[in-house]
Amino acid sequence: MIPLVLCVGATREFIRAGAASVRAVDRVDLDIAPGEFVAIEGPSGSGKSTLLGLLAGIDQADGGSVTVLGHDIARLSPTERARLRRSAMGVVFQAFGLVDSLSAGENVALPLALDGASVAERLGRAADALTEVGLDGFDTARIDELSGGERQRVGVARALIAHPSLILADEPVGSLDDENASQVLDLLEAASRAGGASLVLVTHDPQSAARADRRVRMRDGRLTPEGIAT
Amino acid sequence: MNIGVHIWQLMNRERRRTLAAAAGVAIAAALMMSVVLFGSASGTTVTRRALADLPVDGQAILAPGADSAAATALLVADPTVRSTQPFDVVHFDGATLSKAGSATQTSSGVLVGVGPGFQDSTGLFSLSAGRIVPGQIVVSRDLATNLGLTPGDSARFLLAGGQSADLVVSGIVDITGADLILGPVDEAHRAIAANPPVNVAVTDLTTLAKLAGQIPAGAVASDPAAGANTGNSASPVLAPEPAVLHEILLRYDDAQLPGNPGDAKVWLDGVRRRIERVGAGTITIADDASASLEPVAADLAWGQVLFVFLALPGVALALALSRFAAESSAEATRGYASLLRARGASQRQLVSLFLGTTTLTAVLGAVIGAIVGTGLAFLVFGSELGAANPLVTILGGFALTVLLTTLLATLAAAQPLRDQLRAELVSGRQELGRLRPPLWQRLYLDLLALVAAGAVFWLVGGSGVHPVLNAEGNPTVTLALTSFVAPFLLWIGGTLFLLRLTVRLLSRGPLTPLLERLFGPGGDVAGRSLVSRAGAASRAIVLLALAVSFATSTLTFEATYRQQQRVDAGLTLGADLKAVPTTVVDASAAATVTGPGVTVASPFVDRVVYVGSEAQDLLAIDPTTLPHVATLSDSFFQGTTAVGAMGALASQPDAIFVSAETAKDYSIVPGDRIRIRIPDAHGQLREVDFHMAGVALEFPTAPKDAFLVANLDYVARQTGDPAISFVLAASSGDPSAASLGQRLGSGWTVSDLGSVTARLANSVTSVDLGALVTLDVGFAILIASVGVALFLLAGLSERKRELATLAAIGADPAQLGALVAAETTVVGTAGTAAGILTGGLVGVTLLGILAGVFDPPADVPNVPVAAVVAVILAVIVGLLLANVVATRTMRRIDVLAALRER
Repeated sequence: MIPLVLCVGATREFIRAGAASVRAVDRVDLDIAPGEFVAIEGPSGSGKSTLLGLLAGIDQADGGSVTVLGHDIARLSPTERARLRRSAMGVVFQAFGLVDSLSAGENVALPLALDGASVAERLGRAADALTEVGLDGFDTARIDELSGGERQRVGVARALIAHPSLILADEPVGSLDDENASQVLDLLEAASRAGGASLVLVTHDPQSAARADRRVRMRDGRLTPEGIAT
Repeated sequence: MNIGVHIWQLMNRERRRTLAAAAGVAIAAALMMSVVLFGSASGTTVTRRALADLPVDGQAILAPGADSAAATALLVADPTVRSTQPFDVVHFDGATLSKAGSATQTSSGVLVGVGPGFQDSTGLFSLSAGRIVPGQIVVSRDLATNLGLTPGDSARFLLAGGQSADLVVSGIVDITGADLILGPVDEAHRAIAANPPVNVAVTDLTTLAKLAGQIPAGAVASDPAAGANTGNSASPVLAPEPAVLHEILLRYDDAQLPGNPGDAKVWLDGVRRRIERVGAGTITIADDASASLEPVAADLAWGQVLFVFLALPGVALALALSRFAAESSAEATRGYASLLRARGASQRQLVSLFLGTTTLTAVLGAVIGAIVGTGLAFLVFGSELGAANPLVTILGGFALTVLLTTLLATLAAAQPLRDQLRAELVSGRQELGRLRPPLWQRLYLDLLALVAAGAVFWLVGGSGVHPVLNAEGNPTVTLALTSFVAPFLLWIGGTLFLLRLTVRLLSRGPLTPLLERLFGPGGDVAGRSLVSRAGAASRAIVLLALAVSFATSTLTFEATYRQQQRVDAGLTLGADLKAVPTTVVDASAAATVTGPGVTVASPFVDRVVYVGSEAQDLLAIDPTTLPHVATLSDSFFQGTTAVGAMGALASQPDAIFVSAETAKDYSIVPGDRIRIRIPDAHGQLREVDFHMAGVALEFPTAPKDAFLVANLDYVARQTGDPAISFVLAASSGDPSAASLGQRLGSGWTVSDLGSVTARLANSVTSVDLGALVTLDVGFAILIASVGVALFLLAGLSERKRELATLAAIGADPAQLGALVAAETTVVGTAGTAAGILTGGLVGVTLLGILAGVFDPPADVPNVPVAAVVAVILAVIVGLLLANVVATRTMRRIDVLAALRER
């Protein structure tokens, strides 16, 4: 099977003024099959989020290659990378990543707005997406009126609205209580399973990682042997 | 907690915030410093202006019997004296003329004796008619009119002591500008503004010495044209002046004169005391220069208020910029305050820390700004500044600027700082104090100020400044502070009203659909974002509007000021250019003047003629070409238009327009025949008949009351004298006396509007506002650009996480750029449009300040469209730069790091 994501020797190095450079991602080899749920585990500072950024095309590898949906990320222009994210990926953040000046519905509709969908179409689909995550009728709600769990569900709805092939979730439940965390993970897992989308979950929580089809572990920018073997 | 260390750490930690706030204060300080220095430099200008038209700086009056040569040597030895001219005066008690069996007589006056170089040295006593003949006299127009004198007549003068002298008249002399040396010389007479004599005869020193010899020693003038002439019964009884006065007129070395009128007066006083001490018992000085500077100090104060007023909005704007910078860093301040509080800092310590940081930042900005302002001042008007005792001025200005801007900037930043600390204390991220409108909105102070501005403009409009003549006959102005009230209130009210309006409009989000249509998805996000940031966006719009308004109103004021200067000059010079031949030429010489740079030229005759016994100016013109070179207004004529008047002179060669005074004195009406005596080429008077065509109230080159306007060709034919006085010309571009003079060669003397403008200007209007306006407009553009850049950058800083989110979910660089561009467009368009509108209104109210300074006053403001468009283009360039800076900053955002921020 052709992998949806393929990293070969992917490396990301940060140069800090007055200090030695740091390899946040060090020669990582990773492939993810379509529909596969992969959890990337590791302590803080191990390079999990940096790796996720490379997969999303938000950041670029200094060495090796990252291929997503057959596209070598390094060969894409910034605009092409943005379009790939918009059309094929859904991203969920620990800090929700919502735009405070927009309503819940408008936040969910943002990927469609960026794709040029009409106001009616995008708000209609946003309402449906909110219903799917259990926030029926929350379209016009202001972000600062929502609880943490509700905010993250808005974030999940936004990630799913364009029916992505790849869902990237960076510590999506790190700020939530157990109940809300469980609900959000349920939503992501269900969406992945139902839509056939691959799900990459970055977490330091073993319980969350346990839900994945495959768990990989990172330390000091590298995938550890036990992680690769899982 | 060591506050000093923390202040330093905070400034370092928030380096960008510190620099932004300091930049705002620096702009304010630079503007203030340059205005202070402009005020000093303008002191030099008005001092030079006040002394430029003085024929002499001082009069050394010799004691009876004093040796004139020894006194001259003593005066020349003084390092401040540049040149001397002997000047003797003999008062006469009356004069008579017996001619053709009838006798006329007039009252007292003066006979003056001058040396051969007197006219060249002082510019006084230019010959209007006839010629100068040794042993004979040339008489003032009043004396000629009073006695009915014409060249060739012999007048008898009754001298003090009972002797009389018969003197032959060889010409008419213009005594304009000579009041100072013809009037009384003692302080007491000058103090009551005694009138100078109008019956004046000028002769050579030798002839006058003979007359003086006939007067007994100690004789006094019977009526020295003083005291009795004032018409003030409460005036003290003054001792009469001596009948004979020997004077030496003095010119000082201008280069040694301090620029400030006050300092110049002190310097002149010192010179007077020194000369009087050295020549004790021989010389007394009448300090004419010092007397002329008397009203200048007051004028300068008026001017400096005007300069400060013109620049005040700029200073206020720059301080607003500083405050804006403080507000822009609210998030950072709150964050740092939370950190320190967590480490145990008390509220008092926090206040001390942030206030100390703000003050230190303000001092830093003020010092940098004052240095920059000094540099700019030397760059733009350094030559005037050099004479104004620059070191003292700069040090004083520096201290004032740094103190004032630091104080104002600290006060301006104090409130947002307090809000930030309070907000941090209560909820961390909620903006307090925004929940209910500010006090001025609740009290409707904006609307009240606008209504008051309208009322004040209506009540006192046009009465701001009044020109008056001082005792020495110099034009001066008096200040009515009310003239500043209307523009000030309009500015304040307009600003606040604009703020109210934009907040209300933006918070309703009407722009979102339009922005989405124009800028795509980025525009949609920008529109929605503007709703939530309505307060900050409104402040940016108002800042930009005020900067544009400041530039527009200042430019309009200056253009109107310059226009009125030229209108004044145009009326006096007659046209763009005036070429006076140094030899006798006829009307065909006008063709010589026409050529490159000159489109039309018109010959002109200005000759002294006699209506009855009264000497008047006859202006003989070419009615076909004159309307193309001179501005002829319908208001110049009574009962006809300018075109009608020129048509009458062209179709009826013997037509003549007379002054209203002449028509009244001689009871003549249009159609009546008038016989006028006009000198021919040999100076003989010939009687020429005219028909009155109408009344002329004003005419180019003829600011005087009594004059006549006739057809040049007719006058030449009737007198057999084709000679013209000068040629008036219209230029195709900027009139330049130098270029025309170069083309015409040494046979002509050419003057242009620029030189006349400078000569006519009174003390305040002599100041060239161009330099100040250049500075003001430059700062306005800078403030507009920096203000918008700050708004955009603050927006980016506040919304870093939002922008990172947009990038992460697939917004491409163009869409993110469109977001910034949409915000720039909204702020730029609204700010510029509102700025032009309020600038226009403030410009109109500023006209009130000009009313009375110029005659005629400006009816409508002169909007310099090209300059305003240039300012708008400069602002647009500034906005584009701000946009580029913001876009580049946005692209440098670390998306992953921003997304991890909470």
